[in-house]
Amino acid sequence: MSSFKNIAPFLSAGQNTLSRWLSYFGLGVGVVLLLCSVQMFININELLKEKNSRKEGADFISVTKTITNDNMGKDNRFTPEDIKDLKAQPFVEDAAPLISNQFRVKASAGNIIPFSTDLFLESLDEKFLDTVPASFTWKEGQADVPIIFSSDFMEMYNVFAPSQDLPQLSDKTMSSVTIILECYTPYGVQNFRARIVALSDRINSVLVPNNFMQWANKNFGGVSQVNPSRIYIKTIDANNPQLLNYLEKKEYRVNKDKTKFGRVKQILQAIVSGLGGFGVLVILLAMLLFSFYLQLMIAKSKDNLQLLLTLGYSPKWLSKTVAKRWIPVYITIVLAALFFTALFQFGFQHFVMYGREELSPFVNWSVILIATILLALSILTNYKLIKKLLYKLA
Amino acid sequence: MQILLERVLPVFFDIDQVGNSQVWNKTVSFQKGENVHIIAPSGSGKTTLIHFLYGLRNDYKGQISYDKSDIRKFDAEKFSAWRMQHISIVFQDLRLFTEHTVLQNLEIKRSLLPFYPENNILSMAKRLGIDNKLHQLCKTCSYGEQQRIAIIRALQQPFDFLLLDEPFSHLDELNRQKAMELMEEESNKRNATIILADLREITYFKSERTLHL
Repeated sequence: MSSFKNIAPFLSAGQNTLSRWLSYFGLGVGVVLLLCSVQMFININELLKEKNSRKEGADFISVTKTITNDNMGKDNRFTPEDIKDLKAQPFVEDAAPLISNQFRVKASAGNIIPFSTDLFLESLDEKFLDTVPASFTWKEGQADVPIIFSSDFMEMYNVFAPSQDLPQLSDKTMSSVTIILECYTPYGVQNFRARIVALSDRINSVLVPNNFMQWANKNFGGVSQVNPSRIYIKTIDANNPQLLNYLEKKEYRVNKDKTKFGRVKQILQAIVSGLGGFGVLVILLAMLLFSFYLQLMIAKSKDNLQLLLTLGYSPKWLSKTVAKRWIPVYITIVLAALFFTALFQFGFQHFVMYGREELSPFVNWSVILIATILLALSILTNYKLIKKLLYKLA
Repeated sequence: MQILLERVLPVFFDIDQVGNSQVWNKTVSFQKGENVHIIAPSGSGKTTLIHFLYGLRNDYKGQISYDKSDIRKFDAEKFSAWRMQHISIVFQDLRLFTEHTVLQNLEIKRSLLPFYPENNILSMAKRLGIDNKLHQLCKTCSYGEQQRIAIIRALQQPFDFLLLDEPFSHLDELNRQKAMELMEEESNKRNATIILADLREITYFKSERTLHL
């Protein structure tokens, strides 16, 4: 059977070298742009990952009322109506109050660590917690109270501990330290033994089981219904503009850190997505330019191709043979682009991020997958186009 | 292989015009191994018939079949398969790649489905006296030489039918006979049929049947 070598002289491929090389170059640039954008998108995700704060694909944020000079003296707690209204919003998946203690609590670490401080306690619906160990339960009459402690507080403690001649504690030792909770009741002080059963990244508070809080508020504080000053919200996206507008209108304050973090991520990802979109556009333009080149080549070789078909050359064989010629070209372009992306990633991880561990110096598998898909797509499109043009001649 | 024409008539022909024709609007069958001479005066549709038989045109009434398959229903792919293995042709207008060398013109046909090794081209070219032209551009060859190139090209493939449309119009008597001899020899090797259409009778063509168009 004949090969491309035999039919090559009958195609005027030598002409329009400029447009051919331009389309190769364009394709290369487009693929590099697209692959780098995908890689950067993944990098941003890796770098700005909010560890453990997302549960069931939702964001959890705590909301308080903004304290201004005007409302300073007033009651700035959430009424049941406030909570109902909040829950009714479409962008709020769920909301629960953080109930605080209505009596005085002092914490001391006993004799081992000579430390004593006034403390506040809060309780929250369990489904809002990121870590709920099995031991986080309390029954009436039980002297041991489990506590979920904020990791941030833990960090703060370790910061000031040396200056106060207190020992710094690891996460593990923290859980073995027994804290004495001194609860001030109308009938005197009642002590409980508290133990830290988990650390939470999400909630900046000292959490006790819900039923303990209700029982203690009723018995020590004499209140059964408490309006909370903090509400915990579960939402699909903490950066939803509707949510932020609502909160602003209501003069509610959110944990800005969390939303700011998300905003930066959103903006960065938008920029990178735009860049990726631009890459796709460049690829499309390059393919278009290449298709013009192919059309011109086939139009110029029209008489020869027609004669080849008349002599018994099959249009299918001709299209395959002609299209095959560009497979090495496409492979080279995509491999070169992949190489540039790998180089870029290595450089980014090594020199821009100074080798941060959460970032791999190698390209992500999805980038390689996209490159493979692009390669397959360009080979297929090329073949289809040539086939279409040749069948028109037959 | 068999080619069957059933009441074939070019759409642009009047039925009264073809009253005496032994081909138009008649049922004619060509069998493998039986040479046919078609004698056709100018304007009787000689080239049109050859193009119909080769499947280049389909502006006719009636039906043409290869082995009982209506060729009107063939796609480009199917035609190419038949042309590659079963039907070869020498066009009246030759249809050569004029911007390419003689050798390239012959090799492009030979390499499609080789019936002979490459060196056969030279020996055939020698027989027809164009061996010194092989590396020359086709367009620089005389029409007579180009006619011989087209003949040699048609013999580079396997075939059951060899269609010839005035293949000798620009050859002198000696070269005509040489060419005819070569073609008959090649046809016999393949146990094939030559369908030769010309303006007048070619006396040295050994045909089993003569049809007047």
